[in-house]
Amino acid sequence: MTRATVIGAAMIPMGKYPKSSYAGLGAPAAMNAILSSGIDPATIDSVVCGHAFGGMLTAQRITKEIGLGAVPMLNVDNACSGGATAIHLAASRIQSGQSDAVLVIGVDKLTQFGGGTLPLVAEDPEVQNGMVMPALYAMRAKRFLHERDETVDILAAVSVKARKHGAQNPFAQFQSEVTAEAVLASRPIADPLTLFQCCPTGDGAAALVIVSEHRRKALGARGMAVAASVLHSGKATTGFRHMLRPEITYHSAADAYEAAGIGADDLDMVELHDAFTIAELVYYEALGLCPEGDAADFLRSGATGYGGQVVVNPSGGLIAKGHPVGASGVAQAVEAFWHLTGQAGVRQIEAAQTAMTHVTGGGIAGMDHGACTIHIFEAVQ
Amino acid sequence: MPIDTDTQAMAGQACTADHLPISDLDIENRKDFQTQDGQVVLVGSRSASSGTMAFPQKEFCPETGARDMEQITFGPQGTLYSFSTIHISATRETPYTIGYVDFENGLRVLAHVRSQGTLTCDQPVILQADDSAWWVSPVGDVA
Repeated sequence: MTRATVIGAAMIPMGKYPKSSYAGLGAPAAMNAILSSGIDPATIDSVVCGHAFGGMLTAQRITKEIGLGAVPMLNVDNACSGGATAIHLAASRIQSGQSDAVLVIGVDKLTQFGGGTLPLVAEDPEVQNGMVMPALYAMRAKRFLHERDETVDILAAVSVKARKHGAQNPFAQFQSEVTAEAVLASRPIADPLTLFQCCPTGDGAAALVIVSEHRRKALGARGMAVAASVLHSGKATTGFRHMLRPEITYHSAADAYEAAGIGADDLDMVELHDAFTIAELVYYEALGLCPEGDAADFLRSGATGYGGQVVVNPSGGLIAKGHPVGASGVAQAVEAFWHLTGQAGVRQIEAAQTAMTHVTGGGIAGMDHGACTIHIFEAVQ
Repeated sequence: MPIDTDTQAMAGQACTADHLPISDLDIENRKDFQTQDGQVVLVGSRSASSGTMAFPQKEFCPETGARDMEQITFGPQGTLYSFSTIHISATRETPYTIGYVDFENGLRVLAHVRSQGTLTCDQPVILQADDSAWWVSPVGDVA
């Protein structure tokens, strides 16, 4: 099995772009990723595009703008895990010898819905009964505060850290810091979650070029190798679910550490799925970054900020960087690439060698999440 | 605090105009046609490096991805390659006729066709316009 290595990465700054099509969002990201890799576009032998709301032939609509065609193109939806699932498929194609050079695109345009919560599938009985994504996370948060004897201050602390990191990221939708007071005073969305505790609605696109070891050596390219690429689906249950212990992330993380042959202590950075503040706390434990029950103290200790044990969401995460759902998994990998290749500028994590990216994909009854994708990347000189 | 480094290549810090999305849905501000010396022409673009042309105007060369498209105009004469009259629509007044028109510079454009009589494939057509829209008509209808 050959190694798959990311040798090029790019994204557009996330934001609200109602006057851009999916092609208008995706083409600059795709072209800049190709340019950053140094690869001849004519040698890209397949394209995988992750999205949730792009409609038919999203990959082809984007790549036709920059002269790519004829090669196999796969379009994949897995809700918020769509982009990361595209990376998973691309890595599989390379590792199995099917492909030598794959362009991966993650893209979505949420401004097409005119605001409000993410539109979920109306066929779902819980959705018919009023379920929206903030409600699911709000119930997690309620349970967390109840079981851990914490207050909303710990939720606000997640947003404060996210926005502090995002303030250093020119590709983030929010590039300003906030105070805990401002977070808690922002308007209520789903109690106890306030507006500044929720990822914003927005548009975005990100892209990677992933190649085989043979091609990487021929190009003399540095980058980051895919040390683990794990995709899990939720298993529905009609009974009790522990909302602070999302099994899908626990299982995916265990498989990822095993595949990479490393442990959580080896990670220099993690980009995790902080769609809402509570998620970051829950995932500290699910990803094994801290012992179960310690998430609040772990955050308060500064362990997940710069200079701490592992920098979590150096990009600002979904809360500050933005969360155009299908784009996020790829955008997380772009951030990892910049750190592992020493190109992250003022937010560079010193001597970063190993990164994890984690996205889930939610929105159906009886499951923690419908999908979960975890990648571990290692710097390649 | 984030750590400063001496690295020169700072892709993660450099968000330039080339990183921004393309406002390709800004149709109200997109100029697709104009009148030149009393004749209607279409406004497209051509890559300075590859010569590849496109209509409507594009930001990237559709063959090479080069970001060096320059504005061109073309027409008014073209050839109707094929066409159809559409009798059902949830959004448009019916019937209406559209067809593919090939221009001398090689561009193929989907056009509305307005005709007094019978249309045929390979018929010469000419661009027409009013203040808000453009279409083609058979040369014989206009002359």
